[in-house]
Amino acid sequence: MEEVVPYVTRFVFPLLAVIVFFRCLLPLMSGGRRTKPWAYLVVAGGDRRPLTHWENSIGRSPSCDVVINMPSISRIHAVISRRNNRWYISDMDSMGGVTINDEAARGACIITRYDKVKLSGLPVSIIPVAYDDDDDDDDDGEYEDGFDDKFEKRRLFERIAESAARTAERFGNGTTLLFIILFQLLGVLNLILTAGAGFSLKIPFVFLLYILLEFFYFVGTRFSGRKYIEPELLAFFLSGISLFVCASVNQDAVVKQFAAVVLGMVLLLVMQFFLKNPERARTARYVFAVGALLLLAANLLLATAQNGALNWIRIGSLSVQPSELVKVAFVFAGGATLDRLLSSRNFMKFMAFSGACILALVVMRDFGTAVIFFVTFVVITFMRSGDVKKLSLIIGMAVAGAAIVVSFLPYITARFSAWRHVWEFSDTTGYQQVRTMVYAAGGGLFGVGPGSGDLRYVAAADTDLVFGLIAEEWGLIVALVCALVPLALAVFAFMSVKSSRSAFYAIASCGAATLFLVQASLNIFGSFDILPLTGVTLPFVSNGGSSMLSCWGLIACIKSIDERHRAQSLEYEYEIDE
Amino acid sequence: MKLMSKRAGILFTLCILFAAGMMFLLFSYVKDAPKWATSPVNQHLYKGGELVRAGQILDAKGVMLASTVENERVYNPDENTRVALMHLVGDPAQGVGTALQVTYRSKLVGWDYLNGTYHFGNKIGNNIRTTVDADLARAAYAALGGRRGTVGVMNYKTGELLCMVSAPSFDPAAPPDIESDPEKYDGVYINRLLSATYTPGSIFKLVTAAAAIDNIPGIGSREFVCEGSYDLLGTEITCPAVHGRQSFEETMVNSCNIAYAQMAAELGPETMTAYAEKAGVMKSPELDGIGVANGHFSLNNATPGEIGWAGVGQSDTLVNPLSYLGYVAAIAGGGDAVKPHIIKSIRTPNGFPARFELDLPVDESILAQGTAGKLQQMMRADVVNGYGEGNLAGYGLSAKSGTAEVTDGKEPHSWFCGFLDSETAPLAFIVIVENGGAGSSAAATVARTVLEAAVGA
Repeated sequence: MEEVVPYVTRFVFPLLAVIVFFRCLLPLMSGGRRTKPWAYLVVAGGDRRPLTHWENSIGRSPSCDVVINMPSISRIHAVISRRNNRWYISDMDSMGGVTINDEAARGACIITRYDKVKLSGLPVSIIPVAYDDDDDDDDDGEYEDGFDDKFEKRRLFERIAESAARTAERFGNGTTLLFIILFQLLGVLNLILTAGAGFSLKIPFVFLLYILLEFFYFVGTRFSGRKYIEPELLAFFLSGISLFVCASVNQDAVVKQFAAVVLGMVLLLVMQFFLKNPERARTARYVFAVGALLLLAANLLLATAQNGALNWIRIGSLSVQPSELVKVAFVFAGGATLDRLLSSRNFMKFMAFSGACILALVVMRDFGTAVIFFVTFVVITFMRSGDVKKLSLIIGMAVAGAAIVVSFLPYITARFSAWRHVWEFSDTTGYQQVRTMVYAAGGGLFGVGPGSGDLRYVAAADTDLVFGLIAEEWGLIVALVCALVPLALAVFAFMSVKSSRSAFYAIASCGAATLFLVQASLNIFGSFDILPLTGVTLPFVSNGGSSMLSCWGLIACIKSIDERHRAQSLEYEYEIDE
Repeated sequence: MKLMSKRAGILFTLCILFAAGMMFLLFSYVKDAPKWATSPVNQHLYKGGELVRAGQILDAKGVMLASTVENERVYNPDENTRVALMHLVGDPAQGVGTALQVTYRSKLVGWDYLNGTYHFGNKIGNNIRTTVDADLARAAYAALGGRRGTVGVMNYKTGELLCMVSAPSFDPAAPPDIESDPEKYDGVYINRLLSATYTPGSIFKLVTAAAAIDNIPGIGSREFVCEGSYDLLGTEITCPAVHGRQSFEETMVNSCNIAYAQMAAELGPETMTAYAEKAGVMKSPELDGIGVANGHFSLNNATPGEIGWAGVGQSDTLVNPLSYLGYVAAIAGGGDAVKPHIIKSIRTPNGFPARFELDLPVDESILAQGTAGKLQQMMRADVVNGYGEGNLAGYGLSAKSGTAEVTDGKEPHSWFCGFLDSETAPLAFIVIVENGGAGSSAAATVARTVLEAAVGA
């Protein structure tokens, strides 16, 4: 029994991991990017253009959502946005201007279907499609006016996408969750069977609670009608792995890590509330930004050094890493709605905020996190401004600055000297990377079994080297699945931008995905000596409460872009809003 | 949102970069994982720097050469066997880089891509059976008598190495302090058969002779004159003896420098280089994946005098003993080169084959059958008219000796290579005794002792 079960299950774990990954990946990649209009814009009394987002740009430029190719129309002439069930139009400093009932529009002005709106004298009018309220749950009844049959003639691939999505729905997320739970139960069984002396009964108990938590979250989402929970399922799978990592390396951390997952899910729900309405999110982000700066300031004042970095605050027996929590605020603070983003090219506020965060991290000597923030800053700023020149200048300056900082800090230079040569420094600066490669290779494709590896005796095996630890104990296949989750979420975010309701969501989602992706790169490639080892966590997987918390918060940002509930809503009612 | 969608391309770029990084990681893993997993850093496999979780190494008859018992590496109970086979098996500190415990450690450990170092039922590693004969190795090491050198014996029909010994050596069960006696342990970690190169001296005349047979018309009826010294277009070629008038066949028995220098100069640099290449001087074949040192032969911008000396085996030519053994084996085999082997089989603890290699015979004809036959005759004549057969009468001993001058004023290295023209013992051999002195005596005595042990004479 003690021998046969681990032998059999080690082949089952990779299989389950791959099944879970693809069951989550396919619905994320396939269905639901078909968008139904929220309103129609009638141009010059005849031409009907669907408005498929909450924020739509109108202009001569082909990159506008509604293209009006007339010389009198500016490249980006105006933005029409939907807020709290009303429609607003904002003039984007156009040459010909926007008038409403022959009065020039200043700022965002409410328009109804009865208003006479003119763009450089070109009459346009809006025919909204009715909804209850955008603030409510996702099974909104959907209305569509019947005179445009464009959406009935769906193209073939759209039909395939829809049928794939329906299949996924039928054999849906409940089954995926069962696979996840099976993985975790078998893992615990393995731990118990191979356990030596000192195995704490806390571990099976925590896993029991964790499985219950997963179950109740699933039931909860079912009751509230939110059925698209693939990102959470992936997070559940990875968080489960992280509990196994703790059980293997540091049993005392298991309870704390579980508590962090619970708090993380609370943060997810809070964030989802804030994100539901872009206006609300826009206001909330100031609170978040100030909170973030206060956290960093507190960190600088109260910091205790751990492993060379000053990024910890200790409160009693609890140590918190504020820079992790700031990540959520950072992505949030970067968001902007389309009208503001196109009208004011000024993003000084966000730049100042980012600069302050990155500077604080450099002072804390948390250079890995500083790099993560910087890349995220670049992505967010590019999405906001599209200004390649300015961004190149910023990147150039940052690289030069980093080079100066690095040359003045021998501690960093030492890391760089071992980079790509770790085998020559296998007992000094390359110690951790060499062990990571040695033991990861020792695991083969199927691993030596949870809690049976040797890498767990190396410092930071459960955090910085965690990819290697999983490769050793669970095998390369499971480790690759852990590495590919951030990539899957990023591709999902990228693919969903064009169907996103608001630019705010597009930025928040892509920003969060960037954080995950860069963090995973630094962690994995650092431990395998492809990049210098910077000591950052692998999203959801590394042992660390603050990191776990922020990852779950960022899932809310990723999910904000998800419009599938709308695209696949099967209720059609032909009623025109009044 | 079209605009945002376009700008989100920056995230897509990051995705591509991440995917490229993962591909690079996987590529490194596939390429290097066997090396990583079996690094001495791995505490699962090594104890105090010594490989302990590894399978057995056996000789051709199944004699245990190295094994792991209760997490300790143990070697053959006989000290002389341990010393003689140290370069094949390896030492605790992995000083010998070509030893099986280094080059075949991933097989010994039982690592594979699927299971890593995991073994069901906590069994350890794979067992490697080599082609060498422990008794023969012991006899060869004893025959070297404390002098530096190497002995290689190969079955020229199968390519299996029966004997691979390099001296000096030490007992892997009780490694000495190498630093304490640098003179005694000079180059002790080098397996001289695989990793050393030497000036060939007269054994290289087998290469020049092959080129002459193929390329100088009427060489069989040519008469060579030796007066002890000869002026080859301004360079003086000397011969240790005055051989007078001699036929082509007699030049080999006499090992006449003047005759071979004349032949080489006549053949020219291109032909000489081509035959050195055929003989494998510049590029040594691998020994079951174990790297073998390459020799050196270059006649770029050489004067006729330099070409002449190269034809005699002096100048800056260097040969690797195993590689030259392969050439001798090809002569013995009628011109076909066989691939050298040291591994007979690799099996899991349950006895299943752990190596699935389609080992097709890639025998390559490097000499025409007639050319090889002529060389066989000349080498046989060497023994009959020169070196003598000793106890090996009836086995068709054929050989060529060599003396490689060394620069540091010491005695020259003594070479002896050849084969037994025998159906029951198709063996080719090569022996070097470093600073063994001029002529055939030192190396030839070792060779005869080893061959007698091999055939049981």
